[in-house]
Amino acid sequence: MKRLETQYVLAQPARRPLKIFASDPMLGRTAGNRITVDVANEALRPGPQGARVEVIDYDGAHGRFYPPVNLDDPAILMEGGLDPTESDPRFHQQMVYAVAMRTIENFDRALGRTIELRQGGYPRLRVLPHAFHGANAFYDRRLHALLFGYFRADVTDPGPNLPGQNVFTCLSHDIIAHETTHAIVDRLRRYFLEPSNEDVLAFHEGFADIVALFQHFSFQALLREQIQRTRTDIRTPTLLVELARQYGYATGSGRALRSALDKPDAKLYRGVSEPHARGSILVAAVFDAFFNTYQRRIRDLIRIATGGTGNLPAGDLHPDLVNRVATEASRTAQAILTMCIRAFDYLPPVDITFGDYLRALVTADYELIPDDEFGQRGAMIEAFRLRGIYPTHVASLAEESLLWQEADHDFPPIPVETIEMLRELVFAATSFSQSLPPSASRRAEQAAQRAGGYSRTEEGADTDLSAEMAQQLYAYATANAERLLLDPARTIAVHGFHSVFRVAPNGRLLIELVVQFAQQDRTQADALGGIPLRGGTTLVASADGHVRYLIAKPLPSPKLDAATRREADARLERQRGYVAMCDATDARLAYADDAYLRQRMALRMNLSALHDGAV
Amino acid sequence: MARAGARKNKPKPQAADGQHIAVRMYNVGFGDAFLLTIPTAAGPRKVLFDCGSIKAAARPIGDIVRQIVDDVRDADGVPRIDVVVATHRHRDHVAGFESALWKDVEVREVWMPWTEDPTDPAARHIRETQSSLALCLDTAFQRQASAGGPPAAVAGWRELALNALSNDKAMATLHSGFRGDALRRFLPTKQPEQQTIKTDVLPGVIVHVMGPSRSETVIRDMDPPAGQSYLRLMDSTSLTVSPPDPFNEDWWMPLGDANVAHLALSDADRQAVDAVGQGLEPLVAVALDKAVNGTSLMLMLQVGDAYLLCPGDAQWGTWEAALGNPEWRALMRRTVFYKIGHHGSHNATPVEFVEHVVGRDFWAMASTTHVDQWPNIPRAPLLTALGERTTKIARTDRPQDAPSADFHVEPGLYIETKIPV
Repeated sequence: MKRLETQYVLAQPARRPLKIFASDPMLGRTAGNRITVDVANEALRPGPQGARVEVIDYDGAHGRFYPPVNLDDPAILMEGGLDPTESDPRFHQQMVYAVAMRTIENFDRALGRTIELRQGGYPRLRVLPHAFHGANAFYDRRLHALLFGYFRADVTDPGPNLPGQNVFTCLSHDIIAHETTHAIVDRLRRYFLEPSNEDVLAFHEGFADIVALFQHFSFQALLREQIQRTRTDIRTPTLLVELARQYGYATGSGRALRSALDKPDAKLYRGVSEPHARGSILVAAVFDAFFNTYQRRIRDLIRIATGGTGNLPAGDLHPDLVNRVATEASRTAQAILTMCIRAFDYLPPVDITFGDYLRALVTADYELIPDDEFGQRGAMIEAFRLRGIYPTHVASLAEESLLWQEADHDFPPIPVETIEMLRELVFAATSFSQSLPPSASRRAEQAAQRAGGYSRTEEGADTDLSAEMAQQLYAYATANAERLLLDPARTIAVHGFHSVFRVAPNGRLLIELVVQFAQQDRTQADALGGIPLRGGTTLVASADGHVRYLIAKPLPSPKLDAATRREADARLERQRGYVAMCDATDARLAYADDAYLRQRMALRMNLSALHDGAV
Repeated sequence: MARAGARKNKPKPQAADGQHIAVRMYNVGFGDAFLLTIPTAAGPRKVLFDCGSIKAAARPIGDIVRQIVDDVRDADGVPRIDVVVATHRHRDHVAGFESALWKDVEVREVWMPWTEDPTDPAARHIRETQSSLALCLDTAFQRQASAGGPPAAVAGWRELALNALSNDKAMATLHSGFRGDALRRFLPTKQPEQQTIKTDVLPGVIVHVMGPSRSETVIRDMDPPAGQSYLRLMDSTSLTVSPPDPFNEDWWMPLGDANVAHLALSDADRQAVDAVGQGLEPLVAVALDKAVNGTSLMLMLQVGDAYLLCPGDAQWGTWEAALGNPEWRALMRRTVFYKIGHHGSHNATPVEFVEHVVGRDFWAMASTTHVDQWPNIPRAPLLTALGERTTKIARTDRPQDAPSADFHVEPGLYIETKIPV
């Protein structure tokens, strides 16, 4: 082959540089605020419109479009993207695209697969950077879109903004990352938007903040500047630990919207119920774990730099030290973020609690890195403990008791044929290894329905699944329903099935299969405000089909053993109690009609983006 | 304790005979006006809880005021009330105080929630926020109505907004009107130990002030922190502020421009986007309503062995604080009379109170009427739950249901009961 024909010469650049505001426009030209990030290079049409994300700049308040940016325009390519500015909508489009893609890539990397963002009739996640007039931004599942608002800054108390200036939520890194995460989480666990207990929506909010927060640490210039300024104690309230500063100030609150810092207090977890505020407890816990790990990792650097005393001298820090500390901070942040995302594969399919999340964090991390070299698992457990977050049904907060219980050795393995099919799939598929065209899965669904029982339409279309695979798993679940803690009398829906390939730090290749089964009981839906009682099991198996973990939230059923039955009943009680708690504080309820009463929990879920706290 | 003989007497609508507290619930429609006549060592004492209405029943509120003034007239021809309690400034609780008749009524004390204190900056802030929001909403609803919004729905929401306006004229009566030099108390006071008060005006009566709390969480319900929730919603609603142009005209592109043809947005999707941020006024209106209700003065009157719980329209925040206080919880267990909060709505009587705190066979009274837009006021399951604990329930909207052994009904005017001390 001629040199000119080799991949080396022909290959497109792997990454595309784009400029963004590291935080938001309020910081203006502050060092480190105008930065270049890179995202995977993909073919883009004006929008930008890529394979998974498209920016549609439609302004609903005025009924008009703004011209789409063409990031492949040579003039823009040569400059590494448009320069940051508030007055050019094309820069706004570029920034939402860049930040959304970086967020998605973080999930791709941590989960070891390409996240599919196709949904229903929409081939891509849509992003509308100027969708409406209002101090808010949200993910809309029905539109399969992120909608960002714009508004005038508070006239009397705008903070560092100009009074009455236009503020764009789509120019806040944190808000973009937060809303993108909502969309991805909804993709991974569709029932986590159903408020079945106090923690569910709070988890959505808190997790979205965690992703936004830890992405701060990938901005090297900003990080170095802040480490120099805070003399390595990045806990002091700074750009790094505060979220959506411009939004917070522009709305007249006199501070950033939220912060990763708190005073650990076990009472808060019992008393705070507003999802954003409750989510902040989770954020603070994870940040606390990060900070402790970071400190442990830079201790030696500080000692080397100070001749062993560990006491930093007065004045500026040596730039080399700042660089090294910044590197450690950003590695630690990436490790924690990856750990947080990876936990998803070990979460139950429905009705999550913070305690479940802690168990998933610990299990996922343990599976990949059995020895906790930097103590980040220990730090995480401790940080959760300080905030009063305990999983139910564990004997202690020791690592081994937090691990999800392993399945029995004699647990029926996933059949060899299914595993082989998976292998074929993996090799057949190219970029999107878990998906088949929607038409194929529809055909399979029809076939399956003819075969009896198996239904996915009821739970909404799901394209993560190859049709035959779904059928086989359905057959497996039906045959082993009781052992999977599923109710054999009810329909079993097979959700996201995927294989996971991850390389542990020691070079070990970890291959796992993760399947979610879900069931519902609609008989209680009216009493529960329009949301069914759901149950389900996440099954984690090794590459040979041997079942490792069952992470189950069973529906009450006479087939369960007494202890599990009690748990299931308690879950129903908890959901009832949560509905009652929401009712007690719902201002609308007094003036509501019967339609609202029947659907109130479902409506609260839709409104949660708008109702309180915002963003 | 109750004298055994008292029961068999036919209840009289006149003042108490010395062993009973008379509770007279005027039929104001959608609103509250309760006159309590309490026997004391110094003779009967009169306490008026609220006087307002936003939807009249048989008679307009002016007639009711005239009736009240007549009812409190002493033998010397001077109308006298010992204590006027204005639980909160909602129109349905204070509108009656706009009447000129009050200037002849001699009042010795006026009790209001601390949020009405003219000298307290925090209170002023709460009042101003609430009033300006009410004005904003009213403007928005007016425009909606003139733009042809569904009239019935808009009217219902507008009613809520109007209810929360500052009601200056009525408040002026409460702050500086009446005959005589009434003492104004703003409760609870800042000193926590004074949450139980006694006054010479009501000898032998102990008043437990259970709300509104001055704790931060309860205040947040009355006055959401700047930058959050409903105030932002209001600011961003295009009905009161026209949306700013985010970019200058050079950047505008009409719908259907060929450059955006590949960025498909179906008509339905576009309409969904257009609707974002619209129509939030009802949410804001109910939030404001809750905020003003949250300022309600919640009192427990202890007269001998009788415990009368008058929560105004207190919402969950106040109730939660009160139920969380073991002493008050113990007091609530002894309730012999309960003024059903907020016209029998779901939000003003916690399930916990009904199911786990209050005892049995207490008197309960609800001043309420049917309003088309609010079909769940009063809330049937709540009244059923109360009905399982006591039969002594009276509602102004169904006077015929009030058991005649326990209540005396003056058709179109009031329902009265006598509670042994």
